[in-house]
Amino acid sequence: MAANNTPAGIDKEQAFGMAEAEMEYRVELFNRLTQTCFNKCVDKRYKEPELNMGENTCIDRCVSKYWQVNGIIGQMLSAGGRPPM
Amino acid sequence: MAASNSENDSKNEIPSSSEAEQPQFQAIRMPTMEEIRAQEVWNNCAVRSVVSGVMVVVIFAGGGLGFFMGMFLGALDNPIMQDEMTGRQQFVYNVKQMGRRSLSSAKAFAVMGLVFSAVECVVEKARAKHDTTNTVVAGCVTGGTMSARGGPKAACAGCAGFAAFSVLIEKFFDRHT
Repeated sequence: MAANNTPAGIDKEQAFGMAEAEMEYRVELFNRLTQTCFNKCVDKRYKEPELNMGENTCIDRCVSKYWQVNGIIGQMLSAGGRPPM
Repeated sequence: MAASNSENDSKNEIPSSSEAEQPQFQAIRMPTMEEIRAQEVWNNCAVRSVVSGVMVVVIFAGGGLGFFMGMFLGALDNPIMQDEMTGRQQFVYNVKQMGRRSLSSAKAFAVMGLVFSAVECVVEKARAKHDTTNTVVAGCVTGGTMSARGGPKAACAGCAGFAAFSVLIEKFFDRHT
């Protein structure tokens, strides 16, 4: 059995398509994450150019929670196929 | 991340193709691990409070504050000079008193600065917000501990007074920037 290229049905076109979709997903995730945590944590009245400690802590926590939620939802969607309602 | 690398590549190609445009877009530069670790050092509460305490001592000693405060406080309660001591001995004695007094007040100021900075740092980290409430709580705790010897009433008065003072100082510095 030809098991070297395990997915025998996937040719280069499909691989490129999948890589492109994955790249778009990643870029969208990064942009969404940055925007959400910036809007939540950083006060719009900029008093100084550097992040102070409260904002730094807030961003740490925001990114961690966003990533966790993303992981959990990704697992649920990939395992079930349809969300368990 | 792979996403940022692709963004870097695309942004690097644009300036070379359109050189007539004045604003050259720089690629997003992610901080390296060393930069992140350096920032983390300054975010540590212990480091910040110790540095603040040391800074208070340096400003106190270097700015001549210690000298003047020692002189004034020493002049306030001048002990009655005995006739035995000559003029020069009196002078030496006075200088020693000044030095001792300024040293003790330097220590008090350093402790105040350390406690204030530590409490403000911890409160700000817990709340994850940059507010005046952090300054008020820190000032209250510092004032309370400094005047805790006088009993609960003195502690409350010290707390309120130092909190108001630190809020005023904070607003003063904010208006300048």
